[in-house]
Amino acid sequence: TAGNKIFHFGSCRISVSVTEIRSGFAAIKANIQARDPIRTLSILSYPHSLHKVKSSDRCCITYQLFNFYVDKVFKHCKTEDSYVNRKISSIANSFLSVKRKLGQCHEQNKCMCGQESTEKFKQILANYEGLNVTSAAIKSLGELDILLDWME
Amino acid sequence: SGELYCSLPNPRNVHFESINMKNVLHWSAPEGTGDGVLYKVKYSVYGVGKWIRKPECKNINRTWCDLSSETSDYEEQYYASVKAFLNGMCSDWMETTRFNPLTDTKIDPPMVIVSSTEKSISIILTAPEKWKRSPEGESISLLQVYPGLQYNVSVLNKKTKKRWLFSVSNNTLVVPWLEPGTAYCVSAQIYVTTPLLHSGFSKEYCIATLKDKTA
Repeated sequence: TAGNKIFHFGSCRISVSVTEIRSGFAAIKANIQARDPIRTLSILSYPHSLHKVKSSDRCCITYQLFNFYVDKVFKHCKTEDSYVNRKISSIANSFLSVKRKLGQCHEQNKCMCGQESTEKFKQILANYEGLNVTSAAIKSLGELDILLDWME
Repeated sequence: SGELYCSLPNPRNVHFESINMKNVLHWSAPEGTGDGVLYKVKYSVYGVGKWIRKPECKNINRTWCDLSSETSDYEEQYYASVKAFLNGMCSDWMETTRFNPLTDTKIDPPMVIVSSTEKSISIILTAPEKWKRSPEGESISLLQVYPGLQYNVSVLNKKTKKRWLFSVSNNTLVVPWLEPGTAYCVSAQIYVTTPLLHSGFSKEYCIATLKDKTA
């Protein structure tokens, strides 16, 4: 469909509705980021940027991150604004379908996890667990463009 | 730091204005303050702990500050902040929203070069360059920044007013089967699908196809 993009992770090929996710995020970006007062900490970017991940580890990191967002982020991002909540659930649905596709690649051993991606993801979880759940979830959601920019 | 009681109204509408990743911080003067207000600026990289002062924008009376150099890494995101001073009084620091150079910049239209034969027009398109520190600096085309960059090209037959629209990925386009001895006007726009960005259309570049020698 229009706005879908094919991502090649070695032998794992998946289609992601990037345009839909991006426009959904763009609609709530200012609102969500304004709810995150912590400038000095990033869930995804520090201490090491995603851009430093080796290409051989990209599939596994992407797989782990989509699991992370589905399992630990979206469900803790309820706001008092129904418009924002609708956008969040639309993004969550897109993430869910990508998570399934990546899961299939993982089961077929096309999305292997090396040490670097394991370390990197451990750091992301540590950043996340360093905050209370709601703050960590809102901050992670506010960093969705960091994930998408890196993926693309 | 010698700042007295901060009761001055705050600078307003502190925001980045970015074109081709030339990232300039802009703001409006605090309400109700006439001349004589001075400002200072700081910025921070999102996720990094410290604010960094911008010396060239300390005690300035203008309401903008070029932070292109400080925000040139488009894999990072940034905040900037402004404080106002007047007659020994000061305002609070007023911050921007989180600035992502990759998604928050505007893109200029492409450069368009046209040439013609009897029955065709050739169009060469060039994407603008990313802002660079100095003219001698390395030129980076926005095509390198946005690999998915494409062009919309409009071709208008000035006689019949018929218009064609083309969408191309590479930077050359040949429009065949045109009428000899006829004026055509070309205009082009850049668009990037993700992140979703597009420039305005360029001005029109008009050219006539050569006259049919056999006629």
